[in-house]
Amino acid sequence: MKKIEFWLHRFVFVYGLVMLITFFMCLLFNPTSELPVVRFFGRCILLTLVSMATLIVYASSEELTNRAWWFRTILHAAFLEAILLPLAHSWGFWYNALDGVIYGSFILAAKILWHLIDFGQSFYTATQLNEQIRQRKLEERNKEDAANG
Amino acid sequence: MKLTVEQVTTETPEEVLIRCHDPEEPWVSEVQNIAAGQITVNGVLDGKMCRLKLGDIYYFEVVEGNSFLYCQKEVFSCKQKLYEFEALCIGTMLFRCSKSMILNAGKIDSILPSLSGRFEAVLDNGEKVMISRQYVSALKRLLGR
Repeated sequence: MKKIEFWLHRFVFVYGLVMLITFFMCLLFNPTSELPVVRFFGRCILLTLVSMATLIVYASSEELTNRAWWFRTILHAAFLEAILLPLAHSWGFWYNALDGVIYGSFILAAKILWHLIDFGQSFYTATQLNEQIRQRKLEERNKEDAANG
Repeated sequence: MKLTVEQVTTETPEEVLIRCHDPEEPWVSEVQNIAAGQITVNGVLDGKMCRLKLGDIYYFEVVEGNSFLYCQKEVFSCKQKLYEFEALCIGTMLFRCSKSMILNAGKIDSILPSLSGRFEAVLDNGEKVMISRQYVSALKRLLGR
């Protein structure tokens, strides 16, 4: 159940990023062709699922070292660009080279944003844990002091 | 509350049995912690077998199929597999922190976030170990009880 919740959370997050990118692309280029709403949202969902499938590069039977994590993160960024750019192009999400460069930059920016938000959440959790550790140590010290009279 | 102490022979293993209405009561975890402090595991250092209290172990790690017990300064090898040691640690301050490691939450000095989404735990002896995100909830529970 927790795993389903975890992947659902990720799906919503990535879907949000895809929608955000699409919104900015439309804002910048004012596209002339229009997609039916259902097909548009359907393609956004497919882009999200494809993006999530690329997370397989992080799969490992052993715990990743920091170095391995960085290597896979760069690899993942390259995968995202290599898969999403042609797919989005064939679906009419971008047309010429300039659009492509901007779309590619948005993908990269979305990935960086993902990691920054992730880091923010980790920072918050670490702060909570440190507070718990501090409280625990304080209680232990008080107990020791009480025991020693 | 009724308290019963029964003396057993040295052949019989020592045991603590808690009969309580609510296992979440603070006194239950207090007793568990005391009992856990008495659990020992065998470790080998320089060919000598030593008995180590769980409470003295900083972390347990499996490296290339071999198991090691890390204490404040010494590193002992041991025969237990990860799942065997994990079963031994139920109800103690030791918890699974990654795919190959069991960490003593009582020995953590501070936690640092990492860009990789994991956490770096700085231990009382200055050592640093990684905690996977999926095991952080277990740490929260342990520290909160």
